[in-house]
Amino acid sequence: MGERYFQHTFDNGLTLLAEKMPAMQSAAMSLMIPAGSSTDPVDRNGSATVLSDLILRGAGDRDSHALTDYLDSLGLQRASSVGIHHTRLGCAALAENVMTGLAAYADIIQRPQMPQSGFDAARDLALQALAGLDDDPRQKLLVKLREWHFPSPFGRNSMGKRQDLEKLTLDLCRTDFGRRYHAGSAILAVAGNVDFTSLQKQVQEYFGSWKTGTNDEVRIMPPPGAYHHEPQQSEQTHIGIAYPSITEDHPDYYVVRLAVEVLSGGMSGRLFTEVREKRALCYSVWAGYSSLKTQGSIMGYAGTSNDRAQATLDCLVGELHRLSDGITAEELKRAKTGLKAATIMQGESTSARAGALAHDYFIRGRIRTLDEIKNAVDSVTLDQVNAYLAGHRPGPFTVVIVGPKELRLPE
Amino acid sequence: MPLKFHHQTLSNGLDIVAEINPDAHSFAAGLFVKTGSRDEESSINGVSHFLEHMMFKGSDRYTWEDVNRIFDEIGARYNAFTSQEMTAYYANVLPEFTEKAMEHLAHLLRPAIRQSDFDTEKKVILEEIAMYLDDPGHRLYEKLMELHFGNHPLSQSVLGPAESIRNLKRDQMAGYFNGHYGPGNMVLSVTGCMDFDEVVKLAERYMGSWPKVAATRDQPLPLYKPQEQDLVDAKLNRRYTMGMTPGPSAQDERRFAARVLADVIGDSEGSRFYWALVDNAIAEDADFGFYPHDGCGSFYFALTTDPKRSKQALKVAIDELQRVRRDLNNDEVERAKNKIASGIVLQGEVPLGRMRSIGSQWIYNKGYRSLEEDMATLLAVTPGSLQQLMDDFSFDPMTIVSLGPG
Repeated sequence: MGERYFQHTFDNGLTLLAEKMPAMQSAAMSLMIPAGSSTDPVDRNGSATVLSDLILRGAGDRDSHALTDYLDSLGLQRASSVGIHHTRLGCAALAENVMTGLAAYADIIQRPQMPQSGFDAARDLALQALAGLDDDPRQKLLVKLREWHFPSPFGRNSMGKRQDLEKLTLDLCRTDFGRRYHAGSAILAVAGNVDFTSLQKQVQEYFGSWKTGTNDEVRIMPPPGAYHHEPQQSEQTHIGIAYPSITEDHPDYYVVRLAVEVLSGGMSGRLFTEVREKRALCYSVWAGYSSLKTQGSIMGYAGTSNDRAQATLDCLVGELHRLSDGITAEELKRAKTGLKAATIMQGESTSARAGALAHDYFIRGRIRTLDEIKNAVDSVTLDQVNAYLAGHRPGPFTVVIVGPKELRLPE
Repeated sequence: MPLKFHHQTLSNGLDIVAEINPDAHSFAAGLFVKTGSRDEESSINGVSHFLEHMMFKGSDRYTWEDVNRIFDEIGARYNAFTSQEMTAYYANVLPEFTEKAMEHLAHLLRPAIRQSDFDTEKKVILEEIAMYLDDPGHRLYEKLMELHFGNHPLSQSVLGPAESIRNLKRDQMAGYFNGHYGPGNMVLSVTGCMDFDEVVKLAERYMGSWPKVAATRDQPLPLYKPQEQDLVDAKLNRRYTMGMTPGPSAQDERRFAARVLADVIGDSEGSRFYWALVDNAIAEDADFGFYPHDGCGSFYFALTTDPKRSKQALKVAIDELQRVRRDLNNDEVERAKNKIASGIVLQGEVPLGRMRSIGSQWIYNKGYRSLEEDMATLLAVTPGSLQQLMDDFSFDPMTIVSLGPG
């Protein structure tokens, strides 16, 4: 794949991706393990989140203190999160320190100590985070919107359910770890000042004996409904709206991305212009493309005073519909410039590149180079976008409201 | 990756600071103005932030639609922010759009402040205030600043109270603009891939006619006193506790040691607060940080807990602040330094981050520090410098506030 991008799949199924960025001193690593909230056991929603905490509480020969101290001594800036499809562990630092830290990450995902005290604390923290959601109506809205829009189990809240977390035990977690933490379909992406040959050798040494595995089929169920009001005594009403779109590997993907850019790209985007600048209905309003492996969606948000919430929802829906009438050549040009600039600037951050490589491989089974993205954006024509928009009117909508009052859905 | 620093002052007094990174893919430019909520008369509290919004509403030549459209035509990542002490406007673009970005930033900072735009934007500001009222952490932070700084102007909120925004007049804002926005009270910070001489020419062309201003900033001595207040909001689920105590200022050489100390005590992983409070789930979150201000500074902590555990968590946190003075060890200091060093390397690779850092530094110190100097100063920090710091600032007096369901 040239001298910049590299890819190798090991016998156990783990795929290693790399982007060589010789001008950088740093490197970033992103490890995606097929243990996302959608593969939580049916009655133990939140298990992946507890596990993602528990595995960091000691691994291999190092107990919890020793492991954390070791990663800190390498200066690794770390992140871990649970998404719909994966649990993701990531870090960034000086390139040689990220390379040194790989062996410890191999311990974390293959040989975590999972002590009882660590489990008790991890579950307690998960319950606390869940309780905090009621104090954060904006985040609560986004959680509820996914829950009501995506088919189950993809709409699940990765933070879990109280009753499920309460009955979780260390033994159940250990069994779950054995089932879901495997190299089959796992992805390890590294971007920065690295040499692929030595990287590949190290990954072979540390992760080569990671057991392989396959994921169970998930049972897919339709979402609970298309409208939901979550009563909340809040200053603002938080409005979420979503409708289905194409997947990321669809030939029209860039057409849709550009249309969404017109809707909500910069400050000249239609939502910002119509809802905020002209009508001053809110401070925060946006829409974005959101992808599952098997389904794309457009999701939008607006937060506004309770007495102006109905007007805001009406305006938001009106703008989504107006997109079907087409966009102008100037709008498309701006959208292309914006997307291309963002793509090029992503090349300035090793963390952003590592994350993008892993995501691309998961969705498409291959890496997209920055040049490929630029060319694909350039090749989209106005006729293509407008034909697509005319043929794909937005909807059916899922609308979720977090706030004191119900709202009326526009016609 | 050799970064090269340049500084030049235009004939009208506008300072330009530049850090050139030939390997960068982009160019970043920011205008930093030394004005914020601490520089406002209390009757117009919130005007700095409201004015920041009004900059995007157009100049004599452009409407708000032009402003937004032109930035988007060049694919800029652009925004602005207001704090207690500064207001900044910036754009990050591909190098081919350097001139457009400079020209447009210059237009942004010569606003027309039209009455109709002012009236419309006032509603957006009131929505932003409402949005933050739904954020208990933000509400508590504002209360903490108000109590801790008492009569000092840092006690004023950045957004301002809704009442003061409702009463604000267009001409009051225009007067505030004229007094604060000009060379002598601002700096142009540019980073990334550029030809510096060309950037100076552009600055001269588009910003060279701006009149100088003679803004001054009050530096009263803050009168700190120990105090504690519990606030009740029955609809909340969790209790939020914050504390603040004096620390070194943004000009103080001890600020580097202060940053290391803050990470030793309260970084999100591996710190003393982590092991004493989060590892065992007494608190869901427990941070300890360092806020350097202009002329003074603060250490602060923030705890999020179940309401029934808040007193226990606060006691553990306070005990830990006493304990660290007795048994600070070399290893924890080295680990904190390593984490900060990584952050310095990562920040140096992204022009947008460096532009913000260099611009803010100039506002506080009228000086530039290279990444190498920052790294060397950081590496020279020892447990002894942290001990000295804790002798100088003994976490006393402390302001403590909490907010929860009662």
